[in-house]
Amino acid sequence: MSRAELLSPEGLRIDGRRPAELRKITSTTCVLSQADGSAYLEHGNTKVLAAVYGPREARHRALVLHDRAILNVELNVAPFSTGERRRRSKNDKRLLEMASFVKQTFEPVVIATLYPRSQIDIYLQVIQHDGGTLQACINATTMALIDAGIAMTDYVCACTAGWVEREAAIDLNYMEESSDTSEVTIAMLPKSSKITLTQMESRLHVDKLEEVFRLAGEGCKQMYEVMDKTIRDRAEDLARKMAV
Amino acid sequence: MPSLISPAERDYILKGIECNIRADGRQRPDYREVILETGVISQTSGSARVRLAGGTDVLVSVKADIGPVLVDPETGEGADKGQIICNVECAPSASQQFEGRGADELNNELTQMMTRFLSHNTTSLTSASSTTAPSSTTSHNSNGAGGINLSKLCIIPGEQCWILYVDALVLDYGGNLVDAVFMGTRAAIFDTRIPKTEVQDLGDGNFDFEVLDDAEDTEIVEGREDMPICVTLNKIGARHIVDASPLEELCTEAKLVVAVNRSGELCGLQKGQDGGIEPSLLLEMIQFGKTLGQTLIKQLDAKIKAEADADMVKRQNGQPVVKLGFFAQ
Repeated sequence: MSRAELLSPEGLRIDGRRPAELRKITSTTCVLSQADGSAYLEHGNTKVLAAVYGPREARHRALVLHDRAILNVELNVAPFSTGERRRRSKNDKRLLEMASFVKQTFEPVVIATLYPRSQIDIYLQVIQHDGGTLQACINATTMALIDAGIAMTDYVCACTAGWVEREAAIDLNYMEESSDTSEVTIAMLPKSSKITLTQMESRLHVDKLEEVFRLAGEGCKQMYEVMDKTIRDRAEDLARKMAV
Repeated sequence: MPSLISPAERDYILKGIECNIRADGRQRPDYREVILETGVISQTSGSARVRLAGGTDVLVSVKADIGPVLVDPETGEGADKGQIICNVECAPSASQQFEGRGADELNNELTQMMTRFLSHNTTSLTSASSTTAPSSTTSHNSNGAGGINLSKLCIIPGEQCWILYVDALVLDYGGNLVDAVFMGTRAAIFDTRIPKTEVQDLGDGNFDFEVLDDAEDTEIVEGREDMPICVTLNKIGARHIVDASPLEELCTEAKLVVAVNRSGELCGLQKGQDGGIEPSLLLEMIQFGKTLGQTLIKQLDAKIKAEADADMVKRQNGQPVVKLGFFAQ
């Protein structure tokens, strides 16, 4: 993929978006029957399903904490999720790393002290992969945790950003990620604008850092609007059903 | 998936089934409503999602890749045939028991069942085993490979062929996984389109081929109408039911999986769980499963056809075809 095609002379990206434009985000909660909370999120063509079980009795007695809940995250990528079919083992290092990122992101946000001696399980399933998997996983987890009724201090909204050609852009898709652009994933708490996760691969010039971070922060705020609307719509829907 | 059931619940279900009333109001031979949607995943050759009202949710994708032929070293067969490689995975989100390695045994069992019933292996052996392990037999299907014409999938005999990777992902567990997986596979194979290939003879016995990249001009999987589907019969007490819910599955003494195709031929049989079935009841269950299976195939095909027709109409009218996927409630 030649570099010239990533950003057209008019400032449009490969899929016709502006640099500061997010992909189409659709989401819904309560999609699974067995899980305590679940959410399905689509960032354009990236589709992620999150299921939350908990708080429930911890599986391994040795890991139990007497004053708080422990968080357990498992990430699975379907073999048909990418263009090339690839079966990844459960112990794939990349997946384990991403799962631990999600865990670190949510540990300060979930009010675990309300659920001592218990375990909260978060299972993520990537159904389709078109760039921005980590951000989609974090966003889906937030919604699934809310759907499960687990207390949190704030939403966690995540967004990727990078430097495409000559401009900073957010929500990179697979084409942009796999070419030579740098990519930063940021997870933010929208109310306080605090960042709980920053992850970057590849090189980015320090002069461009501020611009990229600022744009990512705005992207997170936009994500918050979308996620909040879905949650509120659902809550209103439930309240209406219960009122009858 | 509840792993415990109280004696009172067990008794309730048992007595109910004797009176032909199940916990959710169904009768013994009643199936739950099946919601089916094809073409839900892009970047695949074919895909389908099957949902049984009550929770079971299975996503099946078929990817057609080109690879070398697999020649059986003993019989020398397979040089002119394509391959079907199946894989079933239960996501940990489906049930509390599937976390970590908990689903491994179930995955393996379902994968082996799918492989046996769909890509018919002539060297399969009948195994006699203890009552706790499933015992199985495969009958010779005249068309081979669960109905699908494997010879048509061969590109260059002895060298390259199409390999169909069938991946099933169980997203939610509400009982009766086997039937849902096979229904989804049938729908996904119906939805599969394989690109056409052009073989050129370079002389000296060398061949080269080219994959034609035309999205409109693709081939269907030949023999897909003869693919089998499964009917799972659960013996509870002295009666048997189909399409068990999770609690009913816990009460099951013996489980019989009957694979049948649209002509009524038996394509596979597997008994599971640790109870026994009297021979006369066994024959009755197989007959019942066979008839029910044929009806199911008709209904399934009608659903798939209706969806394909509706999509065709939308395309002709210039309307975008939107797949609901998870947003269908």
